[in-house]
Amino acid sequence: MIEFLSGISVVCFAASYGVALACEASRLVFRSGVRGAAMIAFAAAGLVAHTLFLAWRAATAPAIPLSSAFDWYLLAAWLLAGGSLWLTLANPRTPVGLFLLPVVLGLIGAAQVSSRDPFPQSPATQIWGAVHGSFNLAASVAVTLGAVAGIMWLFQAGRLARKEPPLRGFRLPSLERLAHVAGRSLSVAAWTASAGFLSGIVLNAVNRRRGLLETVPWTDPVVLRMGALVAWLVTAAIVARATSRRADGPRTAARLALASFAALTLSILWGLFAPTRHGVPPTAAQATRSVDGEAAP
Amino acid sequence: MTLAFVGGTHRTVPLALRERLAFSTEQAAEALARFRERFPGREGVLLSTCNRVELYAAAAAGAEPPPPPDQLVSFLAECRGLDAGLLAPVLSGDRDVAVVRHLFSVAAGLDSMVLGEPQIVAQVKQAWTLAQESRTSGPLTGEMFQAALRTAKRVATETALGRERLSIPSVAVADFASGVFERFDDKQILLLGAGKMAAETLRYLRQAGARDVRIVNRTAGRAEALSGRLGATAGRFEDLALELRRADLVVSTTGATEHVVTDALFARVEPLREGRPLVVLDLAVPRDFDPRIGERPGVWLYSIDDLGKACDSNRRRRQRELPAAQAIIDEETERFMGDLHHRSTAPVIERLRAGWNETGEAELERLFRRLPGLDEAARAEIRQAFDRYAAKLLHPPLASLRSESRSGPPHGLLDALKRLFDLKD
Repeated sequence: MIEFLSGISVVCFAASYGVALACEASRLVFRSGVRGAAMIAFAAAGLVAHTLFLAWRAATAPAIPLSSAFDWYLLAAWLLAGGSLWLTLANPRTPVGLFLLPVVLGLIGAAQVSSRDPFPQSPATQIWGAVHGSFNLAASVAVTLGAVAGIMWLFQAGRLARKEPPLRGFRLPSLERLAHVAGRSLSVAAWTASAGFLSGIVLNAVNRRRGLLETVPWTDPVVLRMGALVAWLVTAAIVARATSRRADGPRTAARLALASFAALTLSILWGLFAPTRHGVPPTAAQATRSVDGEAAP
Repeated sequence: MTLAFVGGTHRTVPLALRERLAFSTEQAAEALARFRERFPGREGVLLSTCNRVELYAAAAAGAEPPPPPDQLVSFLAECRGLDAGLLAPVLSGDRDVAVVRHLFSVAAGLDSMVLGEPQIVAQVKQAWTLAQESRTSGPLTGEMFQAALRTAKRVATETALGRERLSIPSVAVADFASGVFERFDDKQILLLGAGKMAAETLRYLRQAGARDVRIVNRTAGRAEALSGRLGATAGRFEDLALELRRADLVVSTTGATEHVVTDALFARVEPLREGRPLVVLDLAVPRDFDPRIGERPGVWLYSIDDLGKACDSNRRRRQRELPAAQAIIDEETERFMGDLHHRSTAPVIERLRAGWNETGEAELERLFRRLPGLDEAARAEIRQAFDRYAAKLLHPPLASLRSESRSGPPHGLLDALKRLFDLKD
């Protein structure tokens, strides 16, 4: 069993999601009686492999389970893949996977180029670290779901404005539902991102007070980009709320949800390629200096 | 010949004659009872809908053949008290494989007035059920109608023939209003005018869950009469602005010669709607809503031309599915006929097998008498070897028969088998 679990790789579930996405995309090209079942089977197989992979990572982690950038991206992808499968089962005629699975694959790709080293952690800051990570994860998922609803809204509205019947195999949810999901996702994203940012500040303050090496400078690019993202999400949620009783409110919410996703993507890319002290474990030399010179708390 | 049919549809029989030819359920049951008396031992199924009357007849191989199409025409005329000479030019008949292909096409909706319409499947099923109840259905028609229903199901699931909506009210509700609103039970529906199309559209809206319906008409009496009939509430035409403020979906069918809802009127109402989206199905000619209203955010305005174009587009999509549906029908027809022809070889195969078994048994008895020392196990082993030998020898001719059955009744092979193995009828 252990041998089997350790044999599951990222490629296994990424390939399954890829095939499921291809099945979903083929809706636009031809009809098939077995395509739906095949798509669900591949997505479910990918999700099972993904779950087992994360379980294996959690069970074999030397520190707190799933506490590296690699794990967090995979966790976000896992939540979205599960959501995609659930929505597909609930609405078989709606091509949800066509919108969500590319994001899932993108997150898996981001995981692949991220560090697998666990975030630095000391017993005193473990809880704040978990809170910080969980809220940021929830915010990322909410932004993604909002963007998917937003892009579907724009597609659907475009089709209705052009007075065209629905594309075959491409029946989208109603504008009413999509606007509701986009607006609600923006609110959830604003709240959770704010909570994630604030808990990050508390975490950093605790680290600073204890003189721990995990401390991140307040001008670190990650702190700045997260601050900017939170400011954007809060503004977007307020604007969406303020325009919700206007005739063009749903369109505004859809566009804001899409812009929020673009902001999140930029933020992730910045995090992947910009130099930062955030989440970087201390080097051996730093750790030695710290232990030698650490003042009593 | 084992299968025959005669019938006429909206394409061949004028409406006036079709009305006289149509059978109610009771009349169809009586006709089938008469069929049983007139053509004993033969099977018959009568399919009568608004657009077609068809009589299918069948007889098992070796039995008396089914009545030919001209007799079936006379029979139909007699049942409906019509002159056969009146029906003969407008009814057409066919036999064997053409009957099967025709029934499969009918059941799949390919022969319907509205291509791919789904109601015909239920009507075919009802016709077959009535024949079963009237004891005119038999194994052959049973299998043929079962295969027809299976074919219809395949066409429905494997092609999009029946998926696209073709009527303006159904397209308006299912393809457009449902694209804007998730549900209709919490929406206010406003029927502006009392046109026939409004009632038809409301039927689809009711199916989608609409409950709160108000009707406004210039003539208050008509609005009230229609409200009573459709289970709606009548409003006053003078309160149109207020009704528009409340409404989520408007179906407009007045006979007005100018716009009933002008851009100026809507501009006054719009701020009071608090941004709620509005779907307008303007089915009137000339249009009741100023087209500029449709350019406002949150307003989804569809004229009868817009909906007509969507219907045409759906119709073209259905047409594009036709080759795929036809391929399924050809495949199912070939399979059905192959099975039918192969089944007709059963008596010959049975006689051949029985003859070989008889000879084998006689040889075994002789062998066992010569070898009295054999125990039961040895005898069983030898018997099995004989059976295997016979089965292996029989396999090539049976496979040839099955293969030949696909292209028609294998008369040549059957005759050859009868002569080669001296098989008596």
